[in-house]
Amino acid sequence: MNVRTWVYWCISGTMLLACGGYPPPHDALSAAQAEVKGAEVGGANENPKAALHVKLAKDQIQKAQQQMSENDNEEAERTLIRAQADADLALALAKEAKSQNDASEASEQVGKLRKEMSK
Amino acid sequence: MMRRSTRFSSVRVSGLYAAGPLLLASLSALLMACGGAAVPPQELNDAHAAYNEAAKGPAADLAPAQLDTAKGALATADDSFQKDGPTEKTKDLAYIAQRRAEIAAAEGGREKADRKRAAADKDFKNAQIQGLENYQKTKEALASEKAARVEAERKAAAAMVSLNEIAKVKEESRGVVITLSGSVLFATGKSDLLRIAQDKLNQVATALNDQGFKSIEVLGYTDSVGSAADNDALSLRRAQAVRDYLVTRGVPSEKATAKGLGSSNPVASNNTADGRAENRRVEIVVSPLK
Repeated sequence: MNVRTWVYWCISGTMLLACGGYPPPHDALSAAQAEVKGAEVGGANENPKAALHVKLAKDQIQKAQQQMSENDNEEAERTLIRAQADADLALALAKEAKSQNDASEASEQVGKLRKEMSK
Repeated sequence: MMRRSTRFSSVRVSGLYAAGPLLLASLSALLMACGGAAVPPQELNDAHAAYNEAAKGPAADLAPAQLDTAKGALATADDSFQKDGPTEKTKDLAYIAQRRAEIAAAEGGREKADRKRAAADKDFKNAQIQGLENYQKTKEALASEKAARVEAERKAAAAMVSLNEIAKVKEESRGVVITLSGSVLFATGKSDLLRIAQDKLNQVATALNDQGFKSIEVLGYTDSVGSAADNDALSLRRAQAVRDYLVTRGVPSEKATAKGLGSSNPVASNNTADGRAENRRVEIVVSPLK
């Protein structure tokens, strides 16, 4: 093995290390962003608990983008998985709040009608 | 022998676990002191707490699939902790398991609220139907009440018309006064009802029964000819004869009384024959219902 070959291996090895080998999690990023949008459309910002998790998800997406820009792709992917879980939770909480609101409204209507009838 | 001792020691270990969290805590402290043994990360403790909370709530019955997903996520996090300790990966898995548990709780809460809403909607519909039925019933009751009132009024009017043909009917403050001329009821000086009088009184009784009344008072009057005592006595006998006859025609006896008033309260002059004929009379005073 001559010197040239050594140099070649050294350079390509260094390049591989620098790239980290882990691909940037573009899919996870767009999935997390889509889930946040879905939660917002589902009314997550109208409920304080749900809004908190929307915020957590957004913060983590931002953090993941930062990590991607620093080539910490594996870290970024994990952060994005957390972000997705928060976005999912935000939507579930928003739906729960909406259902609870509808239920108490319906009960109120029944109460009103019964009261009207007993007059 | 070997086998038996192994079993024995496993029993002891499970007994230790059963002894409660205090023992577990001291055990983990001991393990830590011994060096290297890992303490679960906060994320994993939070995930367990969230799962236990969700399992206690409506999710157990109403969102079992989501709760099961949460349970699986928690097991994965536990496995990771058992194998690799409190690594970043374990923390991520625990974080996700906690969110899954919270999602299951929210889904359970949503389902519970949806059912409550469905029940309320059903109640609302039933109440509406009931309200409509009540309204219909009230309307029908009002209509039949009105029909009954119209019928009663028609009957009363008819009774009045038929009475007017045979007697003078006047509405006064003491009630409706039906005045029958003495000459059509009795022969001079007698208190036996004439045959023709009975026909007239039949009509009076029919009218009275049709119209309804609270009570009637039959008042007998004479003209001023003859002694007051004779007149009083005659007028009473005549009033009683009319009253008794009406009772035989269906007027309740407890509602009918008779009084002889002699020559008092003349309605015309006693100086003329026509006037005296008008004064010889029987009045039936009808107290109306209410």
